[in-house]
Amino acid sequence: MTNKQESISRSLYEIRFHGRGGQGAVSAAALLALAAFDDGFESQAFPKFGSERRGAPVEAYVRIGRTPIRAHNQVYTPDAVVIQDATLLRSEPLLRGLKGGGVIVLNSAQRPDDIDSDRDDLRWIVLPASRVGERLLGRPLPNTVLLGALAAVTDWVSLAALENAVTNHLARKGDAVVKANIEAVREGHRLALELKGVHYEELEGHEEKK
Amino acid sequence: MRKLLEGSQAVAEAVRLCRPQVVAAYPITPQTHIIERLAQHVADGELEAEFINAESEFGAASIVQGAVAAGVRAFTATASQGLLLMTEVLHNIAGMRLPVVMVCANRAVSAPINIFNDHQDSMALRDSGWIQLYAESNQEAADSVIQAYRIAEACELPVMVCMDGFYLTHSFEPVELPTQGAVDEFLPPFHFARTLNPATPMTLGGGSEPDNYQEYRVLQHEAMENSRAVIEAFDADFGTQFGRSWGGLLDGYRLEGAQTVVLGTGSLMGAVRDVVDRLCDQGRAVGALRLRCLRPFPARELVGRLGSAQRIIVLEKALSVGAGGIIAAELRAALQQAGITTPVESVIGGLGGRDLTPDVIEAVVRNAGPDEAGVSCRFAPQVAVHHEAHEEHEE
Repeated sequence: MTNKQESISRSLYEIRFHGRGGQGAVSAAALLALAAFDDGFESQAFPKFGSERRGAPVEAYVRIGRTPIRAHNQVYTPDAVVIQDATLLRSEPLLRGLKGGGVIVLNSAQRPDDIDSDRDDLRWIVLPASRVGERLLGRPLPNTVLLGALAAVTDWVSLAALENAVTNHLARKGDAVVKANIEAVREGHRLALELKGVHYEELEGHEEKK
Repeated sequence: MRKLLEGSQAVAEAVRLCRPQVVAAYPITPQTHIIERLAQHVADGELEAEFINAESEFGAASIVQGAVAAGVRAFTATASQGLLLMTEVLHNIAGMRLPVVMVCANRAVSAPINIFNDHQDSMALRDSGWIQLYAESNQEAADSVIQAYRIAEACELPVMVCMDGFYLTHSFEPVELPTQGAVDEFLPPFHFARTLNPATPMTLGGGSEPDNYQEYRVLQHEAMENSRAVIEAFDADFGTQFGRSWGGLLDGYRLEGAQTVVLGTGSLMGAVRDVVDRLCDQGRAVGALRLRCLRPFPARELVGRLGSAQRIIVLEKALSVGAGGIIAAELRAALQQAGITTPVESVIGGLGGRDLTPDVIEAVVRNAGPDEAGVSCRFAPQVAVHHEAHEEHEE
């Protein structure tokens, strides 16, 4: 266990995940909370879904703090949103409540046209996570790729703790799945570091370069 | 060691540590993860129990009824319509004074169909003769399951541990699980005095005539009244052994000197505590009281804790349609009996999973006033859409 207690500047960070049933938003939230807990923080994760079915919009929430978390509420003013499916931008105000200077980690292969926001204070990290998932996991699952990216740009959880969380939480799915997801976390982390400050249009080139 | 566990898993581990020999259930959201986990433990040989996937909740309740009557510890879990389908059997279990333990993963009832949390399901069973404990956190839910077996078996009363669907069942949060040795020390093996045995035939719950039926109810009521002391004692015992206790019947927060007290139950009390802190920081004398135990209803204890409050707000996630707040009505009766005339404001909220956010709770406390004439309760406002962070930035 690495203690990162000193490394966060505020006492509580809140993250909201948006995905569609089957993309792993609920698992991603759990993995993030597990990693933060492993890093020595208090943490909490929980989902909000309609009747469980593939394709339906799903939200999941994570809180990471220095002191025990008592409230069991949804997250309304997140510090970051992770968007697993860019098509959701068309149907919902996904950036609602996002704090000033907030982070958006978006799964998309190009700059989305559907962003209804004129805010210039936000940090966008856009990466083709489904395509990376397809390559590494054999299925277009974006969630662990996006977690790696979130860790890279926020420093709220360590890469090592995320890898531990994947190893423990996905153990029942077998070694191959664990190994592939660790690769996915690392690749998301690497891409996000490379993309820092890079304009959306250059995305395609970045991924091909590898 | 503390671990980050999903509430359903924390509860399933606590059940496993209590060594039930029969687990029967029918899947229903948001309870299913509890039973899935227990089924896995049985399949993996980590729990020596018969796992029975029943054909319905009625069947599941009947199976645990029979199992406990045959002298073994048993477990079931359900929610919402599943709990309502069990209703007939749950009254039977209580009437036979069988120490069954179950978890209700609290969920709204139909119609309209809704899978999310409120307390309407278990509240509907409040008069069935089951002890009802409501958990605020996953840690408390897990600990309460362990306490529940000891309470049930000592009092020969069934216990329902209520935990909020999704808010707790699907939340990952830190939980410390006791060791098997420590649980074995806390919870002695189950010996049921009235175990059904073909060698000494006996009937449980057989025919009763008008000349003695009422006596069964009197005894049941007395047992329930007497269970208050047992619930408190075992929670204190648990605290001695494990370093955690949950207030027994009632759990007060910053009550000393509080002029306004918010009374509620279940996981919403976490947000209430945050609001209490916020308001106290602003110099307001606000406290909170959590009703951990709904049955037996801790009337005297509530009077003791609320007697000096000037304003009492009961915030609850269930509604007696046509009457108003259930806990509020019972509290009013208790205060009236004690000669206390403090008005009780009944606020209903969080129905069907509507989030009772700290802002909504604060608004309830700030804006509350005496009930309008002829109105028994009022309803919490819808959560505001939070665009503050955005707007502040744009300025």
